[in-house]
This record gives sequence, structure tokens and C-alpha cells, in this order.
Amino acid sequence: MNSTIPVPAVVSKIRQVTADTSLLTLRTNLDHPVASSFLPGQFLQLSLPGAGEIPLSYCGSPSSEGDIELCIRHVGHVTTPLKAIVPGEAVGVRGPYGRGFPMPTYTGQDLLLIAGGLGMAPLRSLLLALLKQRKFLGRLTLLYGAREIESLLFLDELLKLQRDGVMQLQVAADHPGHGLNALPGCRIALLPALLDGLDIDPGQTCAALCGPPVVYPLLVSGLQLLGVADNRIHLSMERRMKCGVGRCGHCAVGTRLCCVDGPVFSYAELAGLEGALV
Amino acid sequence: MAPQFMVSHNLEALLERLRQYAEVHGPVRGDDGVVRFSALTPGILPDLSAIRTLLPPKKYLLHPQEIILSYTEKDGYQAPSEGARPLILFGLHSCDLAGINYLDQIFLGDDPDPLYAARRSAQTLIGVSCIPDEFCSCHLARSPLKPLSDLFFHHVEGGFAVTSSSPRGEELLEDVKDILEEREVNIPEDARRFFGQVASMRVRPELDAALPEWQELADCCLGCGACSLCCPTCYCFDVLEFSGLDGRSAERVRRWDNCLFKSHAQVAGGMSFRKDRAERFRYRYCHKYRGFGPLQGIPSCVGCGRCRVVCPAGLDLRPLAERLEAACRE
Repeated sequence: MNSTIPVPAVVSKIRQVTADTSLLTLRTNLDHPVASSFLPGQFLQLSLPGAGEIPLSYCGSPSSEGDIELCIRHVGHVTTPLKAIVPGEAVGVRGPYGRGFPMPTYTGQDLLLIAGGLGMAPLRSLLLALLKQRKFLGRLTLLYGAREIESLLFLDELLKLQRDGVMQLQVAADHPGHGLNALPGCRIALLPALLDGLDIDPGQTCAALCGPPVVYPLLVSGLQLLGVADNRIHLSMERRMKCGVGRCGHCAVGTRLCCVDGPVFSYAELAGLEGALV
Repeated sequence: MAPQFMVSHNLEALLERLRQYAEVHGPVRGDDGVVRFSALTPGILPDLSAIRTLLPPKKYLLHPQEIILSYTEKDGYQAPSEGARPLILFGLHSCDLAGINYLDQIFLGDDPDPLYAARRSAQTLIGVSCIPDEFCSCHLARSPLKPLSDLFFHHVEGGFAVTSSSPRGEELLEDVKDILEEREVNIPEDARRFFGQVASMRVRPELDAALPEWQELADCCLGCGACSLCCPTCYCFDVLEFSGLDGRSAERVRRWDNCLFKSHAQVAGGMSFRKDRAERFRYRYCHKYRGFGPLQGIPSCVGCGRCRVVCPAGLDLRPLAERLEAACRE
């Protein structure tokens, strides 16, 4: 099979998540690995004919029905025209690519998920996978920050998990926005502030991070202050993967390639690599 | 097999015979004085005294711009159906052969790039020995890259000693044996330079970003990217999509890209991981002298000297590389 030719996927559902972001459900052929066998943190390449191709993290769970969930903010050269797509129309997908979160190492551990903005998309995929094995995990905590309350993604799902006692949730917004949707417990602060005084057992905790590149140095130093070891911190890196198979040269993370060696790296692998973080 | 000898004046006859198999391309000096790889049609002889062509033979494997997928509503995305035509490249120097060996490691393998693989398997590589000039560095450092060819022509007194190193080479040699003669010839030892020799390296420390040389070099660099364009082992490409005027078809194109350009490391929101020129310069150095990704530890510089010849600012990385890399050698 040629892994670089997109296969057709039909848009089956579109859910508006926030003003500029939607959750697309695509349906591919049954049993295609692009839908059925990926790990949280891996990515696929989405093609919109005539507009181009972009790397996107999976947002949902692997599906034997051939369904793929993708969370898309309509701001780019492909995602803006994608806003006009309607159910029944087709796009192209190829994947899965890269290395996802190290799921097997999470068994028996406390999990600390930290999402910034659209970084919630891949962490939702991780969260769904963790919920399936919830009884084998210790504490499950999600720290989630966004620009304003209105741009927090999947808030209903997340609040329900908190109410059900499955997960602890702490939310921050950079600024209050229009203040129309007051959210009890939401701090008006930058995401790393949620780490201040956080009660965790650092020897027992694995951290999974996904957010804009600018926030990583602060989150990593915050976690280090709490005593979390570098090899227990996993970050999903942002790069513009053009080919997805280690050839185009655009996604270097220091001397490694985001598309094949990542996008998920442990901080122990990244420490000291020039150009890895900001 | 003992080397065969070919007298110099049989070159034209040899090319004529090769043309019966495939189109033959080699280094040709144009009216403008520039040496390029181009077609050796009858009457056009290769310039075997030329040290280097302007562009390396990578242009035959990765076209500067090429369609990688076509889209139609009916068939979706399809790979181009054009098959690769047989091609004989004549007059490749060891550095260019080593460059092809490097590209092979990126584009062939478990999941080969279909366009590259088709072209590569349709190619016959014929090498010719050369003598390094002041821009070359093939004779200064060892390289694990192998200058693999099907046939190799060593310049010797009065002609060439010809050796084959592949079944295809053997076949060709057999077919042209009437213009060759068996003769005991001494092949000069340095013909393949230091290629194919694993350099013993200690674990290399990260490059020191605080070295003042980076900024000094970057201050002179114009960021034109000519060094990458003409580098036999620079293979970065950008991917672009062009919509058809009917709105129902599209073509996806890849074209040579350049890590000295600001856009190379840009991500969403305009943020870049290599904002200033010194960072981009160091990144290129790292690829050329240390390698990265799956080929970490394999320097990709083959010492052809093209980057030094074309640089409008006359930049030369050799003194810095000699100092930094010698410190890593045992």
C-alpha cells in the first residue's frame, strides 16, 4: 500500500464547538488503519482537494466503524475553506503517522493532563483512551486553559466527568472575554498558574501536555518545580509536517523529526536540543 | 574481474553504444561557460575535465518541481502514472555518487517514495575519477557514504581503467568489450577518496550556540539559499496544491525548499522555531556535518564544493567544520 495517497473520507457529522472551531466526524472504509488503529497523540494528514493538506491530531477514539473525529479551528489555508463543507461531502485522509502518548507506561500511575487552547483536541483522544482503563489508573487530573471562557472546548463533556467524580478539572482563561458565560471555579490566569501549589505525588505522576509552543517552557519548569522527573513529562510538539513520512524536512525538532520520532516526546528527549521548544 | 582499459578516443564510440540502451546524460559545458548535466546527443561530448556541474544529479531523482498527486472528482487523489524512462548518467564524480547514496537512504527503504524509486531503478550510474580543486573537501574527511556506481572510469595514462561493481555494470561491460582491451593498469589509489570509510566518532555534543562564528557567518549570509539548491544531499521539499480552473480538479506539487528561508520552520500563527539567521545557519550546518533524523551521525556533506563556488558572499564552512568535527574524532 502506498502510504502517501489519501483515501476518501465522507463528512458524516459537523458539530460547532465554539465560534471558530468545529468537530468533524468523517467516515472512511471499514478497517482502514487511518480510522481503526491509532494511538492518542498520533496524527493524520487531511486533504481538501484544491486547498491542500494539513497534519491534524486525532481527537476521538479508534473506531472499527471507520469513523474519525477531528477538531478543527477554521483559521488556515485549508481549515478556512473547510468551514464551507457540509455532511456528505468528501475529503482525503492518510495516516496514522508518528508516535503517540506512551499508554502502557501509564498503568498504575496518576495522570496529569495539561491542555492549552486547541491542545485539548489530542488530549481529548488521550482522555477517552484513559477513561476506558480508568480502574487501572490513580488520580486523573486535567488542567485546561484557553484565551477566554467562550473558547474552551468540550466543556460539557469535561464538566460531566468532573461531576461524576471520574476526573478532577481545573480551568483557566487568559481574560474573562465577554463575561456572558461565567464558569464557577474558572481562574482568570494563564495556564501555567494552575500548577502553582498543585497537590500531586511527583514520583507517581505522569504529565501529558499539549498546547501552543509558547506555553511549554513555563509548563515544564512548573512541573519540574513540583518534582516531576523529565522522563515523566510528555509533550505533543507542534510542527508543520508536510509529508508525514520523514522526508520533506520541515518538522525537525532539534535533530529529530516530529513526524516519525514524535509528535509526542518526553522532555528527557528534548532537554538541551536547540530549537525543540521556543 | 581485472580492470578493462579504454583508450581516450573511444569515448565517442562508447557513448554511441550506450545511447542504444537509453538516453545518456553527462556534464556538458554550455556556451555560457556553465557546466550542467544534460543530454549527450550524437556530437556532444561530456566535459570530463570539469570539476563540478552547477546542479548535482539530484535533479534527475527529485525534480525541482513535480506533480506528486492529481485529483479529480471521479477518481480522487491518484499518483502520476508516468513511468520512469531509462537513463544513463555518465561522468559522475565520487561526491555525486555518494550524494545519490545519501538520497537513497532517505527515499528508498521500507516505504520507498514511488517517484524516486521508479527513477532510481531506471538509472545506470557511470562514475569518472577526478582531481579535487581548492573548493573540494572530499579528500579532507572520511564519510560512511558509499560512492556506488554501475561502472567507474578511472583516468589513467592514455585513457581509462574501467571497473564494474553491479550486475548491470557487468552486462554493459560485456556488451562494449570490443572497444575495451584487457590491460594491466595501475589505478591511482585516491580515486574514491575517503568515501565508504566509517569515521570513528565519539558521541558528539550539541553544537554550542554561543560560538561567535555562527553570528559572524550569519551576518555575511544573504539567505539566498543557493548553497542548498546546488547541494547533492539537500532534499527538503515544500508541498503545494493548485486547484484547477474548473474547481473540480487539483494538482499537488512538491518543489525544492530551503532551510535558510524563514518560512521553513514556521508553524501555525506565524510562530517560527528558527527565527534568526544564525539559528538557520546552525541548522544547516548540523545537517551537513552531523546528520539528523533517521541518519543522525551520518554527515551529509560529500565535499563537492558547490556551495562554496556559488555563495555570493564567499562563505566557507570548512574551517569551522574542521575545528568542530576534529574535536569529536578520536
